[in-house]
Amino acid sequence: MAKSRSTQSRDPNKRVRPASWQIFMVSFFLLYMLVPIISTYVFSVATRWDRTILPEGYTLEFYKRAFAASYFTITLRNSLILSLATILVSLLVIVPTVYWVHTRLVGAKPLLDILMILPFGIPMVVLALALVQVYNFPPLARSPTLLIGAVVIYSMPFMYRPVSNAIQAVDAQVLTEAGQSLGANVFQVLYRIIIPNILPGILSGSLLVFSTVFAEYTLTSLIVGAKFKTFPLLLVEFTRINGNVASAFSVISFTIAWLVSILILWVGSMGNTKRTKTIRAR
Amino acid sequence: MAYLELKNVNKYYAGVAAVHDFSLDIEKGSLVSFLGPSGCGKTTTLRMIAGFEQLDSGTIRLDGNDIVPVPPNRRDIGMVFQSYALFPNMTVRENVAFGLEMKKTPKAEIKKHVDNVLEMVRLQDTAKRFPHQLSGGQQQRIALARALAVQPRVLLLDEPLSALDAEVRVVLRGEIRRIQSELAITTVYVTHDQEEALSISDKVVVMNKGLIEQVGAPEEIYRAPNTRFVATFIGTANQFLGKTSGKNMVVCNNVELFTNSLTDFKTDQPVVVLVRPENIQVQAEQSRQKGWNSIHGEVETITFHGAITRLGVNVNGQRVVADITVANTQPVSLNQKLWLQFPPEACQVMVVEE
Ligand SMILES: Nc1ncnc2c1ncn2[C@@H]1O[C@H](COP(=O)(O)OP(=O)(O)OP(=O)(O)O)[C@@H](O)[C@H]1O
Ligand SMILES: [Mg+2]
Repeated sequence: MAKSRSTQSRDPNKRVRPASWQIFMVSFFLLYMLVPIISTYVFSVATRWDRTILPEGYTLEFYKRAFAASYFTITLRNSLILSLATILVSLLVIVPTVYWVHTRLVGAKPLLDILMILPFGIPMVVLALALVQVYNFPPLARSPTLLIGAVVIYSMPFMYRPVSNAIQAVDAQVLTEAGQSLGANVFQVLYRIIIPNILPGILSGSLLVFSTVFAEYTLTSLIVGAKFKTFPLLLVEFTRINGNVASAFSVISFTIAWLVSILILWVGSMGNTKRTKTIRAR
Repeated sequence: MAYLELKNVNKYYAGVAAVHDFSLDIEKGSLVSFLGPSGCGKTTTLRMIAGFEQLDSGTIRLDGNDIVPVPPNRRDIGMVFQSYALFPNMTVRENVAFGLEMKKTPKAEIKKHVDNVLEMVRLQDTAKRFPHQLSGGQQQRIALARALAVQPRVLLLDEPLSALDAEVRVVLRGEIRRIQSELAITTVYVTHDQEEALSISDKVVVMNKGLIEQVGAPEEIYRAPNTRFVATFIGTANQFLGKTSGKNMVVCNNVELFTNSLTDFKTDQPVVVLVRPENIQVQAEQSRQKGWNSIHGEVETITFHGAITRLGVNVNGQRVVADITVANTQPVSLNQKLWLQFPPEACQVMVVEE
């Protein structure tokens, strides 16, 4: 018995068959993840879906109403502004900090690691109310700027982890010294050597931040509310009015998040094509 | 005045001296090696010259100017790293061109220059590849080319060959020496491989525990070591502990040795006598040459090293090693009794500090 198993695993052509409980677990997990998404998609085009297993009819009516909603473009624009601004700010804060700690202040790394978990430990409601109370003076009070600040804090771990791992992997210290010995200053080292080499980390960080911030509700509603309405706010508003239209909004939101993800990945692969091309050419 | 001048350089880590009172003059165009066991401060010294490490005290002058306050990117000092440190995102050509771009060299000139140095390291046809598409030896050549492209005033190499296998190492060290003398570039070469240091250097600096033990030409270091550490670290030396007795005799626990004149020593001074294994002649019969030492022993080990065979001989309880070449000795077998003979000049006598 033991012998046959070991020969099986050594033979690369023979695949190990998953046990039935494994198949069951995986299918259960997939269903658990996919059913809500699929039903959201279906619900957004269903005429009536409460008396039958499948909807009684299909319509694009709810999309029409979604696109026609008075705030549609503005909330979409606000959400994009918020996500992109957050990515920009956290890149500007995180990348130099992580680089600095990895090259000059290695002892501080454990501290930074802990610091970067903290945002997970603070309930968002507490964070929002605290910020609103402390920064209660104009021009910051309840402003989009304050919101960006809050969202940057809360999404920081998502940017920090991938960037930190990427820098860890390239031996930034030696590359920096090599650059310096060739006459480059800190900015040239960062721009020409470090950033291109940690681009995959930067991109996956940006992706994570985008998808979290694009769907952000709590901080936005508590800090700015109606003054700077974002897409999730509009969506929640519509769940109270019409579930089908809210579903249509969800689908639109998913789609945008996917498109942006693909866009970011595509931009990232642009940086790599040069490399792969020459590899193929060899 | 020397081109590169280190004076009383000190560096402490947590109160412990990594480099202690280091003073050294390096002539323009010469290749100087730092040689010493692990942790003796070679890298630290090199990094202080490069500017990556601050001095705790002392000065470093290059061409007469104090360079200690100058940041590393303005020192005009090139460096080759043990791990190559090529930029993975750039092709070979881009890597080599990087330093020239930082200097704002015109495009056409960069191209000419890069072609030149790539030819020098014989890797013209790899210009379009990325570092990960090269072998370790090729990567290190590119690292060398990259450092040379900017024509630095000083070139620093920190164990550049230690990640490569023995054969490549021998070839590359020859290349490094060839290019170095062609360009007459002032070079500091860190290694813990004595053969490497002896074979390519104009001058060897032997270091131990943050201190300079001896500075000298390779032959000098080998033939006339100043300290017991140098004698045993460079090559192999038999050590006989004993006391001086008379004008030219040292009485050891198990043998009495004739040496050159001992007028510099007090009588009954504790000393150590150092004898290199290749200076010992092995004879089956005692054929005493006048004034030579002749000691009797029994062969305990025979180790074949290719060109030589090393014998471990038990002389009244002390292990003495002697080298023989197949050409000029009869075969030796284990437990054979034989005579070890060497002239007084082969004995180097050093005071033992107690
Ligand atoms: N950043 C540091 N912090 C604390 N101690 C250090 C540091 N760098 C070096 N040292 C210590 O200084 C001493 C000299 O180190 P150095 O790296 O110069 O040795 P080395 O001669 O280059 O050795 P090796 O042949 O192993 O590379 C060592 O005892 C080392 O532990
Ligand atoms: Mg070292």
